[in-house]
Amino acid sequence: MARAVRAADGGAERGPDDAPAGTIGPMPARIPRVTKTEAIVLRHRRLGDADRIVTLLTPGRGKIDVVAKGALRARSRMAGHLEPLTRTEVVLAHGRSMDIVTQAHTLDAFVTLRADLDRLSSAMYLVEVADRLTFEDVDAGVAYGLLHVALTRLSRGDGLQLTTRVFELALLDASGFRPEWGQCVACGDAVPADRAAWSATAGGVVCERCRGGAGGAAPIDARVLRVLRAYQSLPYEEAARIRLDAELAARLEQVMHEVMHHVVERELKSARFVAAARRAGASAATIADAAGERG
Amino acid sequence: MNTQGRPAADSPIARLVEAFHRLPGIGPKSAQRLAYHVLRAPQQEAQELADALLEVKRSVVLCARCQDLTTESPCRICGDASRERTVICVVEEPLDVRAIERTGGFRGLYHVLHGVISPADGVGPEDLKIQELLARLRDVDTGVTEVIVATNPNLEGEATSMYLGRLLRPLGITVTRLARGLPAGADLEYADDVTLGRALEFRQEVR
Repeated sequence: MARAVRAADGGAERGPDDAPAGTIGPMPARIPRVTKTEAIVLRHRRLGDADRIVTLLTPGRGKIDVVAKGALRARSRMAGHLEPLTRTEVVLAHGRSMDIVTQAHTLDAFVTLRADLDRLSSAMYLVEVADRLTFEDVDAGVAYGLLHVALTRLSRGDGLQLTTRVFELALLDASGFRPEWGQCVACGDAVPADRAAWSATAGGVVCERCRGGAGGAAPIDARVLRVLRAYQSLPYEEAARIRLDAELAARLEQVMHEVMHHVVERELKSARFVAAARRAGASAATIADAAGERG
Repeated sequence: MNTQGRPAADSPIARLVEAFHRLPGIGPKSAQRLAYHVLRAPQQEAQELADALLEVKRSVVLCARCQDLTTESPCRICGDASRERTVICVVEEPLDVRAIERTGGFRGLYHVLHGVISPADGVGPEDLKIQELLARLRDVDTGVTEVIVATNPNLEGEATSMYLGRLLRPLGITVTRLARGLPAGADLEYADDVTLGRALEFRQEVR
């Protein structure tokens, strides 16, 4: 049956008989009814009494919302495979507004992350950063790979600061927001680490000459800047050799949180939880010390 | 009614539809159905609904001790002298108290957090009734020796339980978590790695 099809480029309709003899003419692009992909679960929210909308980061389709029917029921076969911070393989049936998960199978649950509050809160931060810097129907192969690697590193016990900062810098780079730590963002000259100022608005460091023109540029600790340069340029194994004391780590985190806040244009809520978890640990240690002294 | 047969935006029907639409899980069509149901219902039924709505807002308060919803503070459970007072079960929502009470297997007290730590939804520890729990536990007269954290076995529930554990252990209180594993009627074949791993970890001797 000859049926008119619309050309992929949106051109005029034509029939298959228009193709030259002996060749197969252009085929209409068809959306497969069922697709299979691996994904990292970013978050979920309730849909009615028994269902969930699950936000997935996929390599090919970017960030997508899908419906997991019955996921709130205690006997759901899928709920455990669609928990946030799980790398999972899903089969999706094409739906009218959202795809529907028909099968889900855990590839990596990052189990050790869930047994340590500091690692768990850091992983939640990584996921929120990835969530903010990825978009629907935009290829996210690089972002997916970076998040997968970062969660793997966190779960195997790599340094929290190292893993988090390297992930942030790499994802910013891949997303087109690479901060410039080496050269002045105003004039392009190399900036010595001990005479640099920086501004999140300007997108990196400025030299002494250009500092006046970069509104809000503030001095940056030379040690922090050297670490940021190393994390941005060195292979991971070499960057991992850099030792950070608590003060340096805190300053590094402060700078990167300012960068992220500027890029995503909102507060990253999980950053507050990372800090709250750390404070709870510190106050617990204080109480334990006081009890020890009393004892 | 306007020319398209819809009620004017400021008409009583439109206001009722809008009020129902604001409720969670109610879409525009359901809101219309509910509004027209109320419209067709006897005057007495509509009056009872209105009275119930106003009464619940007027009379229900948070229990000063456990933060559960109650019409009198302290609530019935906190005021019950026969309850075991050394164990507190921490739950996410008031409905969780009803669920645990239905089992008849717990005779201690409760504390309702009114949520769970969920950075993705903008909920941090400071948004929950954690300070109230700490104040309760620091009161030496309470004599609490164990806190059972009964948050849901999902990521947010785990984060909340670990956070509470970190806060409460230095107070010399035993912090426990509800057992996790396979639900009744589940299939091993479909269990996820975390659930199955925990079911193995917390296995019990067959009696």
